[in-house]
Amino acid sequence: MSGYRFDRLKILVVDDNQHMRKLVVAILQAFGTTQIYEASNGARALVVMREENPDVVILDWMMDEMNGIEFTKEVRNSPTSPNPYVPIIMLTGHTSADCVQQARDAGINEFLAKPVSVKAMLARLTAVIEYPRPFVRTANYFGPCRRRRNSEDYAGPERRSEFEIVDQAASS
Amino acid sequence: MARTPIEIFTPPNMLKAKAGGTGLGLDGAALKRAQQAMEELKTEFAAWMDTDVEKLSGSRDAFAKQPNATTHGQLYRASHDLKGQALTFEHPVVARMAASLCKLLDGSPDTPLLLIDAHVNAIRILVRQNVRDVSDPTTNAVAAELEAQVRELQAAA
Repeated sequence: MSGYRFDRLKILVVDDNQHMRKLVVAILQAFGTTQIYEASNGARALVVMREENPDVVILDWMMDEMNGIEFTKEVRNSPTSPNPYVPIIMLTGHTSADCVQQARDAGINEFLAKPVSVKAMLARLTAVIEYPRPFVRTANYFGPCRRRRNSEDYAGPERRSEFEIVDQAASS
Repeated sequence: MARTPIEIFTPPNMLKAKAGGTGLGLDGAALKRAQQAMEELKTEFAAWMDTDVEKLSGSRDAFAKQPNATTHGQLYRASHDLKGQALTFEHPVVARMAASLCKLLDGSPDTPLLLIDAHVNAIRILVRQNVRDVSDPTTNAVAAELEAQVRELQAAA
């Protein structure tokens, strides 16, 4: 048993559908989370981030007034971002390979497809707690490393080796 | 060509510092509590589906009254939301038809209202009659026909 102290974590749930928020909040409460904040769009979520400094964000994709992709890019890249390193779990019905790639390229940490599954939600929270991705900064991207594993079968170009890699504080 | 540095770094894991835990697999007790919470919420799913279907109908009406990129986008979003929510709320056939409607609406705002209405009306009936059985031949036939018409339309475009 993992025994996480979810009561010590602050989690922000961002979804324009109040029923979906209610469902996710109920699941998080059952896990033991007591500090849960809600926002109905990305713009409001940024305000909550500044006020409450959540430890994790669970985020929908399609919303008015700043969707999930726009929010993620803002959090990762804006000089006024309250926390560019905050773990972001995207919970969405957009599940095509292109959409997953788009979300990863915006800078999410983990991707969770609807329908909502209790087990999958716990697995993603466990992933951001136990297996945090290192952060990568390139000319075109800042965010969690988009690779989950190094495949021995990969035959494409190794772009990282073409450039000078500055590995700062590899372990802390 | 100037070299572009790539930085790879690992920020301190504050989440682990706060949450603790042994990292030994998923917490069975937490899973059980959460599954129980989902079960308790199921009593509200029917009402939630009604609300989401009403939202879809409202978006359809707005598009029919004034077909433009905004109303088209709102209708797409309502059908996309319903697609995700219907699966969570245990209406797989509604989810299938909402997915077909999403596919129909994805792309050009020039979408025939008749085919939109066929989808919306079918979804309304399924929810009103609480039809959830994925093996029911009639609902499968209707869903398949809607999907076929969407494919035909998009192939002709």
